[in-house]
Amino acid sequence: MTEERSAGLAARIAALPLWVRLVALAVLVGVPVLLSKWLVLILLIALGLWPITVLVGLVGLALFSIPRGGWPWMRSWLGARLRDLAIPLLSIFTALVIGALVIMFTDAEVYAALSSGQIVYALRVGIQNVAVAYGALYEGAFGNPSDILEAIGRALGGEGLDPILRAVRGPSDSMVQSVPYIFAGLAVALGFRAGLFNIGAEGQIGIGWIAAVIVGFSFRGLPMIIHLPLAIVVGAIAGGLWAAIAGFLRARTGAHEVITTIMLNYISFRLSEWLLCGPLEFTRGTCRTQEIAESAYLPRFLSHPVTLHWGFVLALAAAVAVGWFLFKTTWGYELRTVGANPNAARYGGMSVTRTWVLAMFLSGCLAGLAGVSQGLGISHNAALGFQAGYGFDAIALALLGKSHPAGVVAAAFIFGVLRAGAARMQSVAGVPTEIVQIIQALVIVFIAAPAIIRAIYRFRERRREDIEAEMAVFSRGWGA
Amino acid sequence: MAVQARTVSVSEAPGLSRRDIFVTILMLLVGGGILILGAFGTQAGDQATFTDQKLGTLFSLSSQPTLYLMGMACLFMAGMRLYRGFAALRAWFGLALAVLAAFAFLVWMSSGTTLNVPGMIQATLTAATPLTLGAMCGLLCERSGIINIAIEGMMLFGAFAGVAFAAIFDNLWMGLIAASLLGGAMAGVHAVLSIKYKVDQIISGTVINILAVGATRFLNLRVLEPAGLSTPGTFDAIRIPVLADIPIVGPILFENQPTTYIMLILLVVVNYVVFFTPWGLRMRACGEHPRAADTVGVAVNRMRYISVVIGGLIAGVGGAYFSLGQVGTFEDGMTRGQGFVALAAMIFGNWNPFGAFAAALLFGFANALQVKMQILQPVLPIINVPIPPEFLQMAPYILTIIVVAGVVGRVRPPAQEGKPYEKQ
Repeated sequence: MTEERSAGLAARIAALPLWVRLVALAVLVGVPVLLSKWLVLILLIALGLWPITVLVGLVGLALFSIPRGGWPWMRSWLGARLRDLAIPLLSIFTALVIGALVIMFTDAEVYAALSSGQIVYALRVGIQNVAVAYGALYEGAFGNPSDILEAIGRALGGEGLDPILRAVRGPSDSMVQSVPYIFAGLAVALGFRAGLFNIGAEGQIGIGWIAAVIVGFSFRGLPMIIHLPLAIVVGAIAGGLWAAIAGFLRARTGAHEVITTIMLNYISFRLSEWLLCGPLEFTRGTCRTQEIAESAYLPRFLSHPVTLHWGFVLALAAAVAVGWFLFKTTWGYELRTVGANPNAARYGGMSVTRTWVLAMFLSGCLAGLAGVSQGLGISHNAALGFQAGYGFDAIALALLGKSHPAGVVAAAFIFGVLRAGAARMQSVAGVPTEIVQIIQALVIVFIAAPAIIRAIYRFRERRREDIEAEMAVFSRGWGA
Repeated sequence: MAVQARTVSVSEAPGLSRRDIFVTILMLLVGGGILILGAFGTQAGDQATFTDQKLGTLFSLSSQPTLYLMGMACLFMAGMRLYRGFAALRAWFGLALAVLAAFAFLVWMSSGTTLNVPGMIQATLTAATPLTLGAMCGLLCERSGIINIAIEGMMLFGAFAGVAFAAIFDNLWMGLIAASLLGGAMAGVHAVLSIKYKVDQIISGTVINILAVGATRFLNLRVLEPAGLSTPGTFDAIRIPVLADIPIVGPILFENQPTTYIMLILLVVVNYVVFFTPWGLRMRACGEHPRAADTVGVAVNRMRYISVVIGGLIAGVGGAYFSLGQVGTFEDGMTRGQGFVALAAMIFGNWNPFGAFAAALLFGFANALQVKMQILQPVLPIINVPIPPEFLQMAPYILTIIVVAGVVGRVRPPAQEGKPYEKQ
């Protein structure tokens, strides 16, 4: 039904004269670009006040459902979404609960109370600690709703945008953090689709980051329209080539990409150490490159402290592009076939080895873009220890998103929220940010072994074919 | 150029595979490199002196002629490879090349100065200790059919538990035991996930690796450091009386840390158990043909649980080496990828304890050499710059990639590893 309708629409659009179509395209792209500042502001406020946003969404859905039969339609629509989301959401929830327990029982005060037998007191202190920690996590990620409302009131009263900008810092940080996550998650997901386990995203991010920054500061006085794309493309290709080494080794010699990508990680860490503390170091003793030229900045939508930049739009565009590539092109089809069953692909006349190299290259390009977006959008330089684990988190993220671009974007947002919140949690509640890593590892466990979640929450078993439908297999031994 | 033309024309002859050409070119490059080191890296009258702490000078070589000789030997082997002389010996050329390259490097490095040979060998053995222990963990898991890429994570947990419990009990041996137990517990998690829940074993292993990095850092910052439990100190070397007095061999083999002795003992034990006992035969059957093993009454999955957990116990000891053996405190990610290097050693050693040990010695030598070179800082010939330490630190990782890429396909992993077994 919908396909027919969209096909009809496409035909009608195609029938329009060229200039009409061009003008329409320009308007469709241009207006959002011109209004980007306001659109982003609305987005951030909507995020900060997400309960209201969800409510508005439900009302909208209800209005939408009226011509389609009202409540029964709406219930089945919501039910279908919930069924898909049940396992991921419960996984995250369970991991957060376990994280809370870890926070509780690693606290010195709780421990002291427990060992002196004051169990009730210990529990109370523990729960208080968790509340403070998770409260800081929430505020770091979504901001304080009452602050946002107050700021909106003041802005409407004519005090300008500054209070709002300060209040939506949390949502902005979450989005900023999710940008590299989207790229890196797409990188790992693309590898998964080709049956390759790219653990090397971390190293590829670093290589892309440094390459983009080198282009960023080497050319002064170039116009932005040349400089920025150049830096982006060079960063992406650098990451891609770095990853392609592993793809090439896999295709040529059968060396398992898990080992080679991890080794390439370590090599890239040493390489970046040498580059950043050696030839590229600007001020002695800082292990940091010089600042890139302003023409290579990924522009920001709003002013300080909202640091959200155009890399966010790039990341979403990359997700769309990866989706299109995987599901609408011949190469994408070959890639998925090779991932599902290399032998079948070989019998079908596809070049498995070429696909591996290509998949690894594209995966590395995406990972490189994660570094590019950080280097050109946030830090504007490269400094030692800068990758900060995005590449490793991306593995969990791709699993959580079921290696689907839309899923990856959603999962990246969740991880961005956790990361933005964790920073605040550490400063306010003194809980190390590594708790997030523990939570992430648990999320992977629960996603990969849904039987645990089903056992905890007493779900009924899903149909067998549902369970076996997805997920590439990686453990095929070192020689296969 | 002439060399190039020759290899191309010979490549058309049947029987000379691409690998042959690759190896030949490698030999030519190594030979050329050694000659360059000899010509530009050393002075005409330089002596490379190899010493021992007790015996003084063992022997000394004129470095330049020695390097020329070894370079020529490499070129000679390359020629033999092309003309297919010495068919019976050719299989050893690869090994000979590695030894020549390593020795040439040593001669170049110590040219004009001295090198403590037993010290170097002992450093190699020490660096090989965690690698061998990790490789034995991998071997036990994989021989029984479970892929284990979580050696790194198990070692990191072991390193952490070693520090924590050594400090809590104020006894390094308790730390060692705790390290082993936590490694085993993590292996238990891996086993449950991959056997009971049939999670893809690579994913399950990755989970443990991520968890290890996060959990050890978290606990270190939140528990150990505030409680002042982070510096239990290191093991002293244990000197075995009489035996340690044997010249050269004594200090190398009989004056070591407990982890090294444990490694050497386990090496023999694991080799015996896996290859010379009925239990070992059954265990290997689970990795090669679980259905057959099941038919004759072996409880495949129980066997796998046991092997994986024992492997984890061993990996935990390997982890303790990093914290209690080396620095005496816990540092973030202190295993530095050695778990993966151990995996490569296992593959290189063809899933065989002594093979893995030999491979671990090779990696350990790369490591010892790297440390030594950071001290000596030899200057590269022609371009006249010292090698940056970061590049030296890359060496073990590059070596791992080369080993994994060059060796896979010539070794044979257990047939059914990585596949969950379901009783029919």
